[in-house]
Amino acid sequence: MKQIMIDVNLCNGCLTCTLACSAAHSLSQEIVGAMSEKTPTRIKILPVKGRAVPLMCRHCEQPACVDACMTGAMQKDPCTGIVSNEGNDQTCVGCWMCIMACPYGAINQHPTEKVALKCDRCKDREIPSCVESCPNKALRFTEVNAFADERAINVAAALIAAD
Amino acid sequence: MQHVIIGNSAAGVRAAETLRALDPEAKIIIIAEENHPAYSRCLLPDLLAGSRDELSLQIRSDDFYVKNNIQTLLGKKANSVDPVAHKVNLEGGSSVSYDKLLIATGAISFIPPMPGINNPNVFALRDLRDAKNILQAIEKARRIVIVGGGFVGLEAAYALYHRGLEVTIVEKMPHILPQQFDAQAAEILKRDMQAEGIRFILGRGIKEIAAPRLWGRLFGRPETGVILEDGERLKADVILISIGTRANIEVIKHTGILVNQGIPVNDFMETNLPDIYAAGDVAETKDAVTGKIGLTPIWPNASTQGRIAAYNMAGIKKAYTGLIGMQNAVEFREVPAIALGITQPVGDEYEILQDYRPDRNLYKKLVLRNNILVGMILVGRIEQAGIYGALIKKKQELKLSHQVLMRDDFSYGHLYPL
Repeated sequence: MKQIMIDVNLCNGCLTCTLACSAAHSLSQEIVGAMSEKTPTRIKILPVKGRAVPLMCRHCEQPACVDACMTGAMQKDPCTGIVSNEGNDQTCVGCWMCIMACPYGAINQHPTEKVALKCDRCKDREIPSCVESCPNKALRFTEVNAFADERAINVAAALIAAD
Repeated sequence: MQHVIIGNSAAGVRAAETLRALDPEAKIIIIAEENHPAYSRCLLPDLLAGSRDELSLQIRSDDFYVKNNIQTLLGKKANSVDPVAHKVNLEGGSSVSYDKLLIATGAISFIPPMPGINNPNVFALRDLRDAKNILQAIEKARRIVIVGGGFVGLEAAYALYHRGLEVTIVEKMPHILPQQFDAQAAEILKRDMQAEGIRFILGRGIKEIAAPRLWGRLFGRPETGVILEDGERLKADVILISIGTRANIEVIKHTGILVNQGIPVNDFMETNLPDIYAAGDVAETKDAVTGKIGLTPIWPNASTQGRIAAYNMAGIKKAYTGLIGMQNAVEFREVPAIALGITQPVGDEYEILQDYRPDRNLYKKLVLRNNILVGMILVGRIEQAGIYGALIKKKQELKLSHQVLMRDDFSYGHLYPL
C-alpha cells in the first residue's frame, strides 16, 4: 500500500505543499481561491531547531484515532487504507478524542467548524496534492518498502563513499 | 467457532467487527438489552440539546450487522452465564452457547440512596431511554438542578441550557471535574460556562430530594427541589443525578468470575475463567501510567479493549499494552481541554511545569516523575495532547529540556531525530 513518505533532509520549508493542500480541499481547487475561502491546510511544516519538518497523518495500520472516535466518523477504509472522518454515514462532532489519541499530533481542530481536521490523502486523486506540488521531492507517494530499500541503498552508498 | 458478545456499544461492536475481519467463517452473536442498533452514549447530550437526532447517534451504518454477518439478539437481556456448559441464559428461558464469550456490558449510573431519590422527576443520563425521559420531563420544566460536576453533568448542563432551562450544577468537591482536572483548569472551564449563564454551587453536596410542598400539591404544581448538605433548598422541576457510574456486572454474578469494582482481566483481556473475556467499562485493566488495575470507563479505552479482546478470542495472542486510564477531552462551550494521566499529584517526587494564562483561557500543566512525563492538562490549545500522551505512554526519561517541552509550538518534530 502506498504511503506519503517524507525525506526531511530534502525539505527546505517552502510551504508549497500547504498551499497545494488548501487548494485541493477548497471549492475552487486553486490556491488563490483557497486563500479567499480560507481553506485550512492539513499538512504542517514544523519548525524544529531551524529545520523544516513536514508532518501529516500517517494513516496508521491500527489507528488510535479510529479507536478513540465516539461517533464512528473516523474510519480506516479497508481498501485504500485512508483514515478519514469525512464522507462516512457518521459525522464528526468535535469531541477531540482523536486529537487526544494521535501520537503524532497530526489531527487539528478545524479553525472555524467544530470538527476535527486531518489529511485525507486526497481521496479522489491518484497522487496527493502535497506530493504533486513538492518542488524538492521531499514528499513522495510510494510503497513503504520501496522507500525503505532506497534509503538503505543510499546509506550504504554513503558509507562506501566515506571509506 | 461461535463468538458471543454481551453488549452492543464501544467495546462490543469493535470486538465484533474485528472478529469478522480476522475470521470470515466464525459465527458472531451480539446480545444486548437495548433494542437499538449501536449508538454513542457520548452523544446523548447532543440529543438533549437538539443538535442531533436519534438516527445520527448511531456509530455504524445501517447495514453494519448484515454486512458483517453478525447475528443480533437485541432487546434480549442476558440473565446469567454458565461457564461450565459454555452457555448464556437469556431472559425468557432460552440460552445461547458459546466457544468464546466477551462480557462488554458497560456501566450503569450510580444512584446514591437518599430520601426522595425515587421521585418521578429525578433522572440519570446513561442510555437513550434516560435521554428520552429527560426530554419529555423538561417540556414543562423551567429549572433543572444537576447533581455532580463531572463530564456527563456538565455536558448535559450545557445541552439543557440550550433548551432554555435555568441550569444549576451542584458539585460536592471544591471544583468541577475533580477527577481529571485541577482547580486552575476547572476554573477556566467553569468561567466559560458561567459566562453563558449556567450557575454553579461548589463544595456542597446534596442530602435530600425535596418532595412537593403542601401548596404545590394543592394547586397541582408539584414544585420540588434539592436540599443541600447545609440545609439550603434549591427549587428544581427536574433533577439529574450524574455522580458517576458503576460497572454493570449483574450478568456474571454467581459465575465464579472474579469481581472487584469491575471484572479484572489480564493483558489478553481474559477473565479468571477460561474462554470468557471482558472489555470496556465493565473491565478492569492495567493503567499505562500508574500500573494499577482499575476501571477506565471512557470510549477510546473501551473500543481498544474490544479490539484486543477480539484478537485473543480469534486465537491470535495480542497484549493490551495499556492505555492511560484517566484521560478525557472536553469542550463545553468555547474552551477545549484535555487531561491525561496523573494531573493532581500528591507527594514530593513529582515535578510540575505550568503555564497559566487565565486571561486568555490558556493553561498547560505537565507532571513529571524522575524526569518521566506522567500527566498533563491542556486548556485552550489542545493540539499537542496526543504527543504528550505518547510520551506518557512511552515512560522513558525525557531527552528534551523542560523549556522545549513547554513551548507553545512543541510538536512531534521535536521528537524526530534530526
